[in-house]
Formats: sequence, C-alpha cells, structure tokens
Amino acid sequence: MLLLILASAAARAQSTPVTLLYLNAKSINFYYDRFLLEADGNVRLRTSDGFTVTGDAFSMDLKANRFLVAGHVTLHDRSGTVSGAAISDFLDFKRIYFVPVTREPDRWTFLNGDLAHPAMGRVMPGDAFFFPPITTQPDMTGTGAVVGTKTYVRFIGAVAYVAGVGIPLGSNVISFSSNQYLAQNSLSGATADITWQVAGSPNALTALHLRYDPTYKLYGSVEQHFVGDHEYAILSVNPATRAEKWWNAMLYEKLGSRFQIQSFTQYYAQQNYLQLPRAAQQTTWLNATYAFPHSYVTATSQLVNYNLLGPGSLEVPKPLGGNLSHPAFLQLTANSFQNKIANLPLFESIYESYGFAHDSVGGSQYLNGFPGYWPGNNAFAPIPVPGLQSYGALCTVQPSKIYKYYCPTYTTIYNTVLGFNLFTPSLKLNQPDSPYQQYYFNASLNKQRQWNSLPHYIDNTNVTLTVSRQFNRALHTYAGYEIQNIGDHYINGGYEQCTQPHGQPTTFCPDSFTSFRGVATLRTASFGLNDTPTPDFNLSVLVRHHQDYPIPVPGLFAFPQNNILGQPLYSWWLGQPPYDATADIRFKILPHTLADISRTLYWYGNPYRAQYWQQNFVIQLLPI
Amino acid sequence: MTIGLAFAVTLVAAGPSIVVTGQLLAYQDGFVFFTTGDGFRIAPGIVIHDAKTGGSTKLAPAPRLWARATFDANGSVTELDLSRAALPPEGNFDDVTHFAVAASSPAPNPDLLAYANLATPVPGGGAPTTVSYSGKPVLVTFIVQVPPTTPLTASVYISTDQSGWNAQAIPMDRVDALHYSITRRYPSGTIFNYLYDRGSLQSEEIAQNGLSRPPRKFVVPDADVRTVSDTVSAWQDQVPGSINQQQPQIMPTPYNPAPFPNLPPGLPPPEPPQSHKPPQAR
Repeated sequence: MLLLILASAAARAQSTPVTLLYLNAKSINFYYDRFLLEADGNVRLRTSDGFTVTGDAFSMDLKANRFLVAGHVTLHDRSGTVSGAAISDFLDFKRIYFVPVTREPDRWTFLNGDLAHPAMGRVMPGDAFFFPPITTQPDMTGTGAVVGTKTYVRFIGAVAYVAGVGIPLGSNVISFSSNQYLAQNSLSGATADITWQVAGSPNALTALHLRYDPTYKLYGSVEQHFVGDHEYAILSVNPATRAEKWWNAMLYEKLGSRFQIQSFTQYYAQQNYLQLPRAAQQTTWLNATYAFPHSYVTATSQLVNYNLLGPGSLEVPKPLGGNLSHPAFLQLTANSFQNKIANLPLFESIYESYGFAHDSVGGSQYLNGFPGYWPGNNAFAPIPVPGLQSYGALCTVQPSKIYKYYCPTYTTIYNTVLGFNLFTPSLKLNQPDSPYQQYYFNASLNKQRQWNSLPHYIDNTNVTLTVSRQFNRALHTYAGYEIQNIGDHYINGGYEQCTQPHGQPTTFCPDSFTSFRGVATLRTASFGLNDTPTPDFNLSVLVRHHQDYPIPVPGLFAFPQNNILGQPLYSWWLGQPPYDATADIRFKILPHTLADISRTLYWYGNPYRAQYWQQNFVIQLLPI
Repeated sequence: MTIGLAFAVTLVAAGPSIVVTGQLLAYQDGFVFFTTGDGFRIAPGIVIHDAKTGGSTKLAPAPRLWARATFDANGSVTELDLSRAALPPEGNFDDVTHFAVAASSPAPNPDLLAYANLATPVPGGGAPTTVSYSGKPVLVTFIVQVPPTTPLTASVYISTDQSGWNAQAIPMDRVDALHYSITRRYPSGTIFNYLYDRGSLQSEEIAQNGLSRPPRKFVVPDADVRTVSDTVSAWQDQVPGSINQQQPQIMPTPYNPAPFPNLPPGLPPPEPPQSHKPPQAR
C-alpha cells in the first residue's frame, strides 16, 4: 500500500515540466561525453508541445536543453504548415527561432509556445543555429529516440559502441536527470555489473543487469525505479536467474521540510522461476527522522521473519523449524548538531538512544532446525541459544555432558546509549613564511556507553590525532595515531579467560587471551601520502602499524568480508594484522576515463611473520 | 558559445568578389543559409567545388558541411567550395551580412539581455547574473571537511549528475584527518549538481538535521583556477540509529548485543560467577 502511495506520489510530484520529443531519422548518434544527440536524413520530430518538424539534420544539446532542425524544414501544427530553412527551440526559455522561406527568407520568433503569432524580424541569439563541432565517434546510434527533456533519452534500434565494437541493444535508456534518486539502487555488491536500461520516463527507469559475484557466479537481475522530487521506490530481484532470489523494495518519502521516512525490505525465496518457494524469509528495516532546529530524532526498526512458509515447511523439518516467532529491534536516537564550544577551537555533538531487541527463538535455529548434529559423525552439536543471550548460572538440567548450558535465556534486552563527539578543526602548529611549510593538527574523540538490561555495559572510546603538511601543490602527507578502546563490562562475571594446557599457548588460546576479560585496545599509527602532479594522475600510499590487544594471531580471528571497493565491511576488528600498506594509483587511460588500481599487503611481523596480499587487485574505471 | 567559434569568418579582398567561410545551415529555394541564420541568394549557374582540391566534388550543399562562399558584387553567392571538415577562417562575415535576405526589418530583441541572465544560474539558486562563459578549461579544486567519525581508511568520492550520479565517479585524496581534496579540469560554464559520498549511495552525505540533502550546485566560472570548499555534516550510514549502519554480520540476523563480532571460536562466552544460583531449571 505504501509502495502504491509512493509510486503515485512520485508520478504526481514531478514538478519540473518535461517536454517529450519523438525523433526519427536515417541515423541518430549520441555522444556521451557532451550529451549531444545528432541526427541526419529524413528527420522527423514530434513534440509534446503540439507541433511537428521535418528537415535534413537535427542537433540537440541535452544538457543545455535546446535543439535545432535544419535543411528543408517544415513546421506543422494545428494552424497549418510553414516551410523554412531552420528552426531552433530553446526549451528552457520558451523561445522558438525560425527561419521561414516563403517568397524569401525571414526571421520569426515564437514566444511562449504561441506558433500563430510570430514576432517578425526580431534579432536572434547569435548561436541559435549553431551546430556543435563533433570530433569523436558516437557512443550510441539508433533509428529513433524519445527525449524527455532534462531527464532521459530512450533509443530505438540502439547500438552501443564499446572500443569501436557495436553491441545491438534494441531499446536503451540513458538518464541524465539532476534527480539523484534515479541512481539509488537496491542491489547488493557484485564483482562486475553490466547494466542495460531498457525503458524509462522522467520518473521511472527499468534496468536489466548482467552480474558476476563469487557466490552466485554469472546471473541476471531486474531493477525498477520510480522517483519523484521528494520520494523514490526502488524494486528489484537479484539474482533473478538463480533459485536463491532476493526480492528487494527500497522506499523513501520526504514529507515537508522536517520529516522523512524510508524502508528497505528484503524477501528471500528459495524457488525455481516463480514456483512456490521451498523456503522464504523476510527482513524489513524502517527508519523515520524528524528534524528540530538544532537536533533531530531518528527511529529505526528491524523486523525479521525467518520462515514465512509456516510450521514444518522448512527443508529440514525439526520441532522448531517454522516457529513463527520472529526477532525485532527498535531504537530511538536523538542527535544534536555540531556546536562550537565557547570561543574555543573545539566542536561537540551528543547523542542518546533508547531501544530494545527481542528474539524468542534464537538466530541460529531458524533455518538449521533443533537440535543440531555435527555433519559426518552424527555427534551432538551445541544447542544454539534459544533467544538473544543466555547468561546466568548453570541450568539445572544439562542436555549434554560435553557442553555447559546457562540459564536464564534473555529474549528481550533493553538498552540505553549515551555518546558524544569532540573535535578540533585544522589548527596551525607554526607560522612559516611559505604555506608549504605549514603543519596542521587535528584531533577528534568519540565516547559512547551502552547500558543493557542484561546486566552489562559496553564502552567505546575512539581518539584520533593527525598532523599534516602539504609540501607543494601536488604532494600532501599526514601522520596519524588512533586509539580505539572497546570494553564489554559485566557487572557479575563476564568473559572467562581461556586456559593453556601445561602453560603453553595454543592455537585457540594464545598468550594475550589468558588475560582477556572483555576489553580490547587497538592502537594504529598511520602515515599517508598523496601525490597529484596533474589532475589526471594520482599516487597515494598508506602505511599502518597496529598495536592491538588481544594480540592478533594468524588464522585465529574471522576476517570481515570486503565491500565492492575492496575495503573491509567494518572499519575495525579483532586480529588485524599488525602491519599493512596500501598503494593506489590513478591515471588516465582514455580521454574520458581514469583507471584506479589499488592493492594492500598485510604482514604480522614477529613472532608469526605471516604475510599476504589482498586477494585481488582492486581495479576501477572512473569517468572524468 | 559565441558565433565566432561556430562561424569563423574573415574577409579576403579580391576585387569585386568577397570570400567567406562558414558552416552551412541549409541550401534550398534559391538561397544558401549559414549557421548565423542568414540566407543569401544563389546566383544562377553557381559553381560547386571541393574546398580542398578546387576540383569537382560529390558533395552536395547540406546542413553541417563547411563552405567557402564567393559573393559577387550584388551579394549573390556564385561559388561554394565544400568540405566535411571545418575550413580555416577566411573573410569577415560582417562584410556580407548586409547581403542577407530577410522579408521583415530587423527588430530589437528585449529577450537577449534576459536570455544571457537566465543562461547563467547562480550557485545556490540566487538571482541570475549577467556573467557569460567562454568555455575555457578551469582547474577546479574541491576541498571537503568530513565528519570526525570518518575512518582514516575511508575513501571519499564526489557523485554528480555529470556522470549519472555514479557514487564512485570522482575519487578524492585525503589531506588530513578531516579533509579530502581533488583537482579536476572543467570548461567554464559547466553546471555541477553534486554530493559527497564514501563509495556508495548508502554512505552518501546527509544534512546536519539528519535528513537527506538536496545536491550541491556549482557553476564553473571563467577563471584560471577555482577552489570549492564544502563541509559534510554526517554520512548516512554513520548516524547513530541509521538504517544503513553497517552491521558486523553480513546477512540479517537478530540484534546481537555482543561487541566483538569475531572472537575466536575457542573462547568461552561471557559467564556469570560460579557462585550464582540457578534461577530456574531448563
């Protein structure tokens, strides 16, 4: 229902007037770098403003929003037909400049779309009939095109050219709207993505994607966008050509100047084509923000249904399989703006938050069934926590002689969060004669505490200090030191230290873990360098040394996955290799394309000496 | 774009005839039209030649072609030398403008000043100014101050409508803990709508009041260099309680109150003191 409201609102809310131009010609060429649309031979142009033009040649600057038809022009509307040499329509200014040829040439200007009463003889802008110089090969050709002014062009009989090779596409849409919502997408990251925008309008876009990622390999996806000036709805199925389908709906609406609401729903279905799913689960995030003059309040909720098919419907039917209980999470957060503290070079912002999480089943039991068995030897596996967290004394009934179970199990945990940020702007450390000898200092502090109704609190403290200097116009350097402290403090009990048999460290109990009681400290020293001798070339190097507790051990800690930029999904984690160095080089490979290549080397130093490279080079092609 | 760029014209005085070069707009009904919009009478028996060789040509006068036009003393075009490529400027077009045929007398255009105004929107949407642009390349440096919560390893990008709002279109370089910069060359007059992000639309900048912000706007001026300084108040995925805040787990899971997402599997979970009495049987 919300989706329908949004979609119709999007259609209504398009405030920018759009003129539709229907263009046919023997050949139509599009030049991506300058957004030029050029056509020649039997040009026929019909406009939604109510007139039709024919001629020999057509030229349109899509960004400037003006077009020209020249050579044996006829202008036809309901009042009749006039012949001429050229016509130029400056759509933004509602002025049409026409060179009619009756007995002899003349100059007419049509004002505000009134084709019946031309202003005769008016001096015209000097460039009214200007053809832009074309020096490159077209990026796309077609036999027909529909232009939604200032928003999109849809080609008919489209052929896209990549490295001079034509790829027939049939219908293809190129969007050049200033509405950034058209670029929103609901697809997960992929190693490679080729997008074919099949259909479009000023407030809608339909795209087919051919994608590759290591999990699903090669597959196809479909995405549909609806946008307005203050809202969007993005729907997709990804992958669409695999049995494991993720159906996504991303909705956004801004109501007035102070309130916005957005949601993201993922529906997972294990289904062949569109057959009845064998498994289905759904997750919805909902977020609403209300802005006050100096602060704002955000409510965020997450609702999960791990089994939408009902009891007993899972692939592994177990007693808990199909339990209709589902976890939920709600958090209400108030954030202040950044405020300057007195006349000090210091800024602060604070936030506080209240929330709860509820789960009466336990995340790891929804799909796996209960109880679990180790695969292979049919041994009894540890029973997953049937809720959020078990914390208490030993349960009076122990289902296993191998594992220990604690009671009670908390199915609802409330939390309160209080935090603040404190930071300086760039402070000058010296007063040199040359700006290239200037040193700057920055400092920031973030401190947060989260109290949980399961009796423990979590402290996060993050301090960052940097000193920077620009050596010349091209070369920037900086050195930084960061200390992150995470403490999970239990009021009673807490993290148990592991024990080393015979006092010797083992793989799962290295030295630092014998004293680990839930407090980790990560210290990072960084040195960064950026060299940009020309706008078309950049070299950047970042070298870091981490001195962390617990001490990282190769292979002991799970590593976060990388995002599509090749960076870890979260910015800190236990067990970071003590050293890393990243080099990134960016250079021009085509007149309108830069290549960006980066790679990272990690190494542990003593005593482990293990080292490894980031799995792949991260290569990106960027438009100039 | 001025007419001088599209229609470079100079005078070659050669007796009674005048020669000019320009780009053709149309050739019809006994007139030849140039991209100035002026139409000139075609002399009977007009000669059409190839501009490069001076010999015969298969080209027929048509829009987009370049031509060297020879005018007789009456203002009729007696010869057209055609070329697909732009011809070097010859002649001064002002000397033939009075030959242009027009049924109506020229009338002043009150729009022209207004048009110049409207063509140059002001960053931020204020009142139009009368600035005009030459299109010359301008070195534009963007410097942005990012929120203090931005990780030292973060990549910051500019996404613009010039590149379809690609979230990784323009990568920036870190200057210090709070600043990134990038220098690019753009023609003056280029109108930018842009936003900063950290590589995805989910990590785009938001307004200080927590709401999604409209794109920033910038018009490249007629200058040699220009610096644009901006401040990002917050990233969408870093606001406490944000919908896009990254979770330690990749796939949706119930809320996990434990702060260490990747503790080694051999480490025991948090436990109460052993003296704690069991509150209930399992």
